[in-house]
Amino acid sequence: MTNDYTKENSGYTMTTVAEEAARCLLCHDAPCSKACPAHTDPAKFIRSVRFRNFKGAAETIRENNALGSICARVCPTEKYCELACSRSGIDFPIDIGGIQRFVTDFEQKVDMHILKKGKSNGKKIAIVGSGPAGLQSAVTLLEKGYSVDIFEKNTKPGGYLTYGIPEYRLPSDIVDYEVKRITDMGANIHLDTSIGEDITMADLKSNYKAVILAIGASEAKMLPMFDNNKFTESAVDFLAHVKQTKGKVTLPDNIVVIGGGDVAMDVSTTLKRLAVKNVTDVVYEEFDEFKASKKELAGTRNAGVTIVDGYIPDKVNGNEVTFKHRKIDSKLTIKADKIIMAVGQQVNPDRLGITIEHGEVPFIGYRTEDPQVYVTGDIAHGDKTVVWAVRKGKEVAEEIDSVLGGSSND
Amino acid sequence: MINKDLSIDFLGVHFENPFCLSSSPVDNCYEMCAKAFDEGWGGVVFKTIGPAHFEVDEVSPRFDELTKEGTPFVGFKNMEQIAEHSLQENLDDLKKLKKNYPQKIVIASIMGTNAQDWEDLAGLVTEAGADMIEMNLSCPQMTSHEMGSDVGTNPDLVQKYCEAVKRGSDLPMMAKMTPNITDMIPAVKASLAGGADGIATINTVKSIANVDLDKKVCLPIVNGKSSISGFSGKAVKPIALRFIQQLRAAAGLEQLAISGIGGIETWEDAVEFILLGSTTLQVTTAVMQYGYRIVEDMKNGLMHYMEEQGVDHLKDLVGLANKNIIPAEDLDRDYKVYPKIDWDKCIGCGRCFISCFDGAHQAITWDEKSRRPSVDYSKCVGCQLCNLVCPVGAISTGKIEMKPGRKGDPSKVDIESVRLTH
Repeated sequence: MTNDYTKENSGYTMTTVAEEAARCLLCHDAPCSKACPAHTDPAKFIRSVRFRNFKGAAETIRENNALGSICARVCPTEKYCELACSRSGIDFPIDIGGIQRFVTDFEQKVDMHILKKGKSNGKKIAIVGSGPAGLQSAVTLLEKGYSVDIFEKNTKPGGYLTYGIPEYRLPSDIVDYEVKRITDMGANIHLDTSIGEDITMADLKSNYKAVILAIGASEAKMLPMFDNNKFTESAVDFLAHVKQTKGKVTLPDNIVVIGGGDVAMDVSTTLKRLAVKNVTDVVYEEFDEFKASKKELAGTRNAGVTIVDGYIPDKVNGNEVTFKHRKIDSKLTIKADKIIMAVGQQVNPDRLGITIEHGEVPFIGYRTEDPQVYVTGDIAHGDKTVVWAVRKGKEVAEEIDSVLGGSSND
Repeated sequence: MINKDLSIDFLGVHFENPFCLSSSPVDNCYEMCAKAFDEGWGGVVFKTIGPAHFEVDEVSPRFDELTKEGTPFVGFKNMEQIAEHSLQENLDDLKKLKKNYPQKIVIASIMGTNAQDWEDLAGLVTEAGADMIEMNLSCPQMTSHEMGSDVGTNPDLVQKYCEAVKRGSDLPMMAKMTPNITDMIPAVKASLAGGADGIATINTVKSIANVDLDKKVCLPIVNGKSSISGFSGKAVKPIALRFIQQLRAAAGLEQLAISGIGGIETWEDAVEFILLGSTTLQVTTAVMQYGYRIVEDMKNGLMHYMEEQGVDHLKDLVGLANKNIIPAEDLDRDYKVYPKIDWDKCIGCGRCFISCFDGAHQAITWDEKSRRPSVDYSKCVGCQLCNLVCPVGAISTGKIEMKPGRKGDPSKVDIESVRLTH
């Protein structure tokens, strides 16, 4: 049954992936590859699948994207490679994410070890945060011969991959396997280690050639009218709790979700998969301006969530929330057993000594005003998606390498 | 990215990898060959060069394809003849290729109408700097009966022309054989007697791929008419592999040097040709459909295969399958192997039930309510047709049983195939 929180949809088989790859037009100068922020090069790996070179396909994915198995599952491909796909001129885009998942599952099944540490250049880099940007920057640095220490405040590595994305979309063992590849390469991950408590920025700066802050936007935003409301929980806390318990949570029958991004879709779908009877998602945007990806929105609708668009919270009284429409004269009052707030996330820069403006560190590129400190991931400029985190992870590593002279100068 | 040495020696010539373009439309001028080299091909067999007095005059259109379900290019029909450029242009291109790509192998394919032509052409391409000569004794669409595949079916002519080429050149030489013959061995032996150092095979298979139902003529239609011509691509691979195996199994030809041709488009196809005794490989049809870039996955896939097999030198793979392909009367007929159905994978389509009833031995029963098949062991002969038709890989080989009265240990019977199919 699809309403099982831990069950991932089954992927392609050797036969069905060949069918999907055969739909690919194998374009010259393929638009899909140009549209991937991380340069995962779908045109090349799909061509390899077409010619039954599954190992070569895995090499292409992995060498361009250290989180290839994760992107295959969570990337909003409709905004990137699949948006560019020429096949849309005939019917609908190639399922690039699905093919990538098949290839990376194959890679795992035959236990390939594609990523290799470069010859050591004796230089050490500290990375704060083990989310996707931190992990990718570690891989790129390791490939260039740097040694890497990653500091993670939580008990498990992976950041939002581990604590945010629901199990049915991204199984924990996939994240564990991706992290293992990276620790096998030589990255040291120090868990339960907070900057400012267990180790200071000053320590990091004196012990490492450079420090990368890849702390993400892990703190939930809340609306002030819900402060101290005992029925309200943040999406961040809710998703982390469900994921850590693998869905073993007790929930009431009637829940309201507020928000219209992919996180709100994840929360709403998760609730239905956990057999909550009535899930109502109230969204600020109207459908034609939705932030959530079409795929996530479709998944949420198919799960049976009631979605109300165009309404914003007006007042709250205990578990009774009154919304008003943004444009028309209309009010809606919902009494719920629980209210989950998915209205965005923000950076918590405490103890890191960095400036945050509009949720980002205000620098072009990745180097901050402190020349030894770099930023990447969601706190650096660019989309807030895993594939962009991969891109920013590669780019910050390249920038450090160009500043520190790289292995070629040793 | 994996990197392994794919180099191999063939007729005393060192190839950086075994992948060559076959003599065809895909390597008909300098620019095409140069691009192919740049994209990673190890060699080219330049499009067949004929004598100055033979004028090429092509039809339009000149190709047709065989399709099946949604798959294009299952097979490809081609009416194009030999190189259309002048003899001098072709010789200049050979010279320029060798000059600019000294590490790559340039093979001159030649075809004459008489012994003197063959001898002269051999001398000319040798002067132009070719590394090797391929004699085209097998093109099925020539407009002269003195040229093309009719020559390749006549051992006396084959020997005579090989001798002529050897008089004209001391380069290593391979004779390209036609599959439009019941037994290739006499022609091959004649070519060796005439001085050939190795064999290239197969050329295209004489064919009609499609017939226009309104105009009552096969395709492509050339002003209302058409002709039989050569067929290539994936559909001819089984025919090519069969000829190569038969050659390598023939007494006296066990070490025959072969450049394998016929429907190669993936690294797996390439390995099959090598395991049956090919040292180098030639490709056209897949290049016409997809471009030179396909060599990337063939090379990379071959490297991974060598790694899996623990093989560092490609030559160690050549002919490894020959000894395992034996006359049908020598096969073990003492056992049968039943199918095994995995009901978790089964989607209840009933294809196995239909194929077993209509095409085999009525040994699969069908539960209409649950839409699940099961095997009737009293009727099953172990043919495994059901295994082949299952679209979801739910049927595999199961229990092995000795036939009544036969001796043997079923657990020692070797039947599993490791090829990636499902």
